[in-house]
Amino acid sequence: MTTRSVSAFLAPRRRLQLAGLLTPPVLWLGLVYVVALAALLVTAFWTVDELTGQVQIEWTTENVVEVLTGALYRTVTLRTLGIAILVTVIDIIVAVPVAFFMAKIARPRMRHLLVIAVLAPLWASYLVKVYAWRALLSSEGLIEWAVSPFGLDTPGYGIVGVVLTLSYLWLPYVIMPIYAGFDRVPDRLLEASADLGAKGWTTLVAVVLPMIRPAIIAGSIFAFSLSLGDYITTGIVGGTTQMLGNLVYTNVGAANNLPLAAAISLIPIGIILLYLAAVRRTGALRSL
Amino acid sequence: MDSAIRLRGLHKRYGDTVAVADLDLDIEAGEFFSMLGPSGSGKTTVLRCIAGFEQPTRGSVALFGTDVTALAPFARPVNTVFQDYALFPHLSVIANVEYGLRVAGVGRRERRARAEEALGQVRLAGFEDRRPHELSGGQRQRVALARAIVLRPQALLLDEPLGALDLKLREQMQVELKELQRELGITFVFVTHDQDEALTLSDRVAVFDAGEVVQLGTPRDVYDHPRNRFIASFVGSSTLLEPQVSAALGLGSQAMAVRPERVTLDAPGGVPGTIAEVIYTGPEHRIVVDLDGLGARITALEPNTGAQNSRSRGDRVTVSVEPAAAAPLEAEPDAA
Repeated sequence: MTTRSVSAFLAPRRRLQLAGLLTPPVLWLGLVYVVALAALLVTAFWTVDELTGQVQIEWTTENVVEVLTGALYRTVTLRTLGIAILVTVIDIIVAVPVAFFMAKIARPRMRHLLVIAVLAPLWASYLVKVYAWRALLSSEGLIEWAVSPFGLDTPGYGIVGVVLTLSYLWLPYVIMPIYAGFDRVPDRLLEASADLGAKGWTTLVAVVLPMIRPAIIAGSIFAFSLSLGDYITTGIVGGTTQMLGNLVYTNVGAANNLPLAAAISLIPIGIILLYLAAVRRTGALRSL
Repeated sequence: MDSAIRLRGLHKRYGDTVAVADLDLDIEAGEFFSMLGPSGSGKTTVLRCIAGFEQPTRGSVALFGTDVTALAPFARPVNTVFQDYALFPHLSVIANVEYGLRVAGVGRRERRARAEEALGQVRLAGFEDRRPHELSGGQRQRVALARAIVLRPQALLLDEPLGALDLKLREQMQVELKELQRELGITFVFVTHDQDEALTLSDRVAVFDAGEVVQLGTPRDVYDHPRNRFIASFVGSSTLLEPQVSAALGLGSQAMAVRPERVTLDAPGGVPGTIAEVIYTGPEHRIVVDLDGLGARITALEPNTGAQNSRSRGDRVTVSVEPAAAAPLEAEPDAA
């Protein structure tokens, strides 16, 4: 059949067109996400032969119970959650004014430069950026040099370093949706607010923030979920700090306990699902 | 008494473009004042300077005797109805109307009562809890009006408020706007590019062209005595008569504009011609006549009397115009 006759055959057959269009990506998504997640879930209920270290298909809830009740897991979960929340809050506080400037104040030229500046770090390797922070945070690093005249020290490698580094890493993902959110607030509405007697601050609180709330939440989903699953940054600038990702990594590697690792990884998945469910109503998922 | 709005030497430049050129304008209290002009003629810029959204390059804006040139929009005793309504999408209708009162710190109960009163005045009672996106264009227009009048401004600025509505609704809103203005007794400054709207509604009209007011007067002044070619052709329709045509019709030796409804066919002593076109518009026939030997055309209107069309293409007629019905036009400075 020629191209033309294929087109003629397909033209009245909408369902067949859709099927042709969607089958490959749906298959791919199905394999990568659904099957992999399901495998993870199932693995969490298997056991490991203590002698050989082989995974055995022997059903048990031991791993999940251990993860849900063990003191270590509770501590690390709370720490991970705290870091993720802190990173998210810091990113929002930094991103809102930057995004506002980009969308509402900067002239088109400046705006393009800023968009490039915000996106440029995404081209650099994650590892390079984290090692750059390792250098910054070191006892001979730039931060030490900058703050020592004030009698302060670099925070060094630990939770603070992790929070700073993660905040830096995810900032572009938070700025971009908030920038788009501000961009969607028509200037007319700001004028209307001023016309009705509102000063700048009132307009920000009463008009702008409610309108960009979905965009802020969209940004927070990125910062929060990316932080929740991170383990490389913790390994490089975290000193002895452990996050959930590190526990998973240890159990996959050194401890060779895949079922326990799977059980641990259910925690961030559960938290993210709860978070998504909570923000679903705000319309944020449409701002992604 | 001071004018409601007094502009002196108002000048606004964007880069190399002059949007408004050294404008002096007085708008009186309680007046329905229209600024009429094609897009880009500067009328909206003037309105935005009055509201405070634009800072004039030079010149001053005074409201009720107080110079407000340096004041921010929120400090001026005027409110604006925007062309695209600019309703707050995240607020209900009543919350939109209450917005200005809330900002001003008016108590909840009074706020509610005044907002409901304003919604009543624009005939939108019963829609309090809707969101803007659930309303039709006309309803949004009413919310925007209510939101502006609820603050009891001394002057209301309207930026092409009916531009987005369809014809029927626009005509209805024109009547309501006029009634509302009479009821409130405040100054309305109305920006439009629709000459019909400006003539229908206004006490006075300022016709804008290229950043300047080219004619200022009552609708009758502007319609019956357009000062130049631009006004004659922009406001209503008219035939422009070159000097030799005016002379042939016995009107003098000057370029003139004549309204089609003031052209008489087949009266004694007319200039002969041939009908080139008969256009049926419903209420009337528009008849285009080629004048013999003048190389000019003139348009006449005859009411549709219900009889079968008595005139047709190619008929011979005579054309005459009363001297009082023709408006002499100022010589164009650039015509030479």
